[in-house]
Amino acid sequence: MTARAVYAVIEREIIRLFRQRGRLLSAMVRPLIWLFVIGAGFDAVLQHSGAPSYQYFLVPGILGMTMLFGAMLAALSMVYDKESGVMRMLVVAPFEHYWIVIAKLLGAVLAAVIQAILVMVLLAILGFLRGALAPAALVAGILGTAFVCASLGMLVAAWTKTLDNFAVMMNFVIFPVFFLSGSLYPIEHLPPALRVVAMLNPYTYGVDLLKHGASAGGGLFGPDFAITTDLGVVIGFTIAATLVACVRFSRDTAYEPLIRFLAKNRNE
Amino acid sequence: MMRDAVALSAATAISAQGLTKRFGDVRAVERLDLEIPAGEFFGLLGPNGSGKSTTVHMLATLIRPTAGGAQVAGCDVLTRGSEVRRAIGVVFQESALDRSLTAWENLRFAGALHGLSARETRVRADELLALTGLTEKRNTPLAALSGGMRRALDIARGVIHRPRVLFLDEPSTGLDLMNRRRIWRFIDGLRRETGMTVFLTTHYLEEAAGCDRVAFIKAGAIVRRGVPPQLVAALGDYIVEIEAPDTQALAQRFAGRLGPCIVDHDCAFFRVRGEPAEFAKLQAELAPQVATLQVRRPNLNDVFLWVNEPEFRS
Repeated sequence: MTARAVYAVIEREIIRLFRQRGRLLSAMVRPLIWLFVIGAGFDAVLQHSGAPSYQYFLVPGILGMTMLFGAMLAALSMVYDKESGVMRMLVVAPFEHYWIVIAKLLGAVLAAVIQAILVMVLLAILGFLRGALAPAALVAGILGTAFVCASLGMLVAAWTKTLDNFAVMMNFVIFPVFFLSGSLYPIEHLPPALRVVAMLNPYTYGVDLLKHGASAGGGLFGPDFAITTDLGVVIGFTIAATLVACVRFSRDTAYEPLIRFLAKNRNE
Repeated sequence: MMRDAVALSAATAISAQGLTKRFGDVRAVERLDLEIPAGEFFGLLGPNGSGKSTTVHMLATLIRPTAGGAQVAGCDVLTRGSEVRRAIGVVFQESALDRSLTAWENLRFAGALHGLSARETRVRADELLALTGLTEKRNTPLAALSGGMRRALDIARGVIHRPRVLFLDEPSTGLDLMNRRRIWRFIDGLRRETGMTVFLTTHYLEEAAGCDRVAFIKAGAIVRRGVPPQLVAALGDYIVEIEAPDTQALAQRFAGRLGPCIVDHDCAFFRVRGEPAEFAKLQAELAPQVATLQVRRPNLNDVFLWVNEPEFRS
């Protein structure tokens, strides 16, 4: 019975994804801008030093980025639901409230995976997905990154009341998570402080799994960690973040904003 | 003792004992007791901010009471939340629908959340769309529906799983008279057909005239309960309503002659027993001084107005 409800939540997420054309389109265009503008720019500089192709190095990073944005936006639909009132439909349904978090998490994972697959098709057409593909690692990388991003999104969403602070979220969550990972540069050569931060960033390990799966560059541009380390961190973080989000969401009723409003009116 | 409680629960749809909710030092609901038999149409009436919604949210297991307890459909709201939610439907003061989906998609989503199969959902959604006159709007995005249609759809959403107890929290706020009537016809039909218990909150007291029983709530506490016709009859046979520039003086002048008086803003209300024989005389005497003079039957609004008057309470 709960399975039906979980399925319905996921289905709604996917309907919304394909109905919001702009969201889907920007998810496709954003990685290409990175690849063809920033990637090509750095490639031109690095070519003189005899380094391997930076554009190929960027492929796992932009796949990760697609999923980071895709999963975060989907996870934040939880906040949209609180604001728009749809959450009311969810909280009166006959299952424990943590199922809402789990269903939304799975919806965000699926939304992220769909977007990653679409970007991969684009990359394949453009000739960026060739050579050293390790299918098992690639699948693990896509799922792992999607789960890390989605559970991070749920964690943020559980504490966020309105979409007003979405810009704040962009600046203080999405961008730091993206920049302070191995997406744009190998971690190994980062200054120590940044390196520590990148190593504490769970998203780094998702992207590293993608590097195991789809990196054309070895050596300097190869993965930073062992697959087992990546998997361990990814699974561990997903479970921990989801648990915390579930507990927080179950405790904090979806009505808190409304109740505050009522209480304030009564005080006046 | 335990057995009694179980036997009671079969016939009792909603009961509450000392139900209390405080937000910080704001007392939203204070020691509320309820006993609502299955099948009853119950109205919780009071002004905005009097604690009606908070009461509904506690009974619907969406917020935890600070003290006291309640059982809905035989299950404790504190310990068996999911089971309570399985038995109830809730129509909130604000819409619970998704604006990015169509009318049908909203009902399908609601049906699935309550564990209905795809077939059951389709059959019931079609029924409900027909009952609410929305069959032709089945595939219209919610954003393109009028406020009245959205409200009707939201109520359909709340009953798609055929709840045993339906909570209607200010269901007709913002609706015009025609839409309000249409929605009430729909709810009355559902009640007759399914025998479900309805817990209504409203500040439109005319709407509550059809309730089997009502309770008036003020600042979180129930101040009076009863059966609407009896409450109204207890007031008197007529209400004389006078609006005048100096209402206070007028009230004092006529209090002895007409009956007990209450002054609300610029209006004086007199409760009159028997036929208002003096009306013609009164009209002649007052016509030059007053803005309006009205003699009418009392209604629930008057009950609420008099609710704090000691002579009426006794």
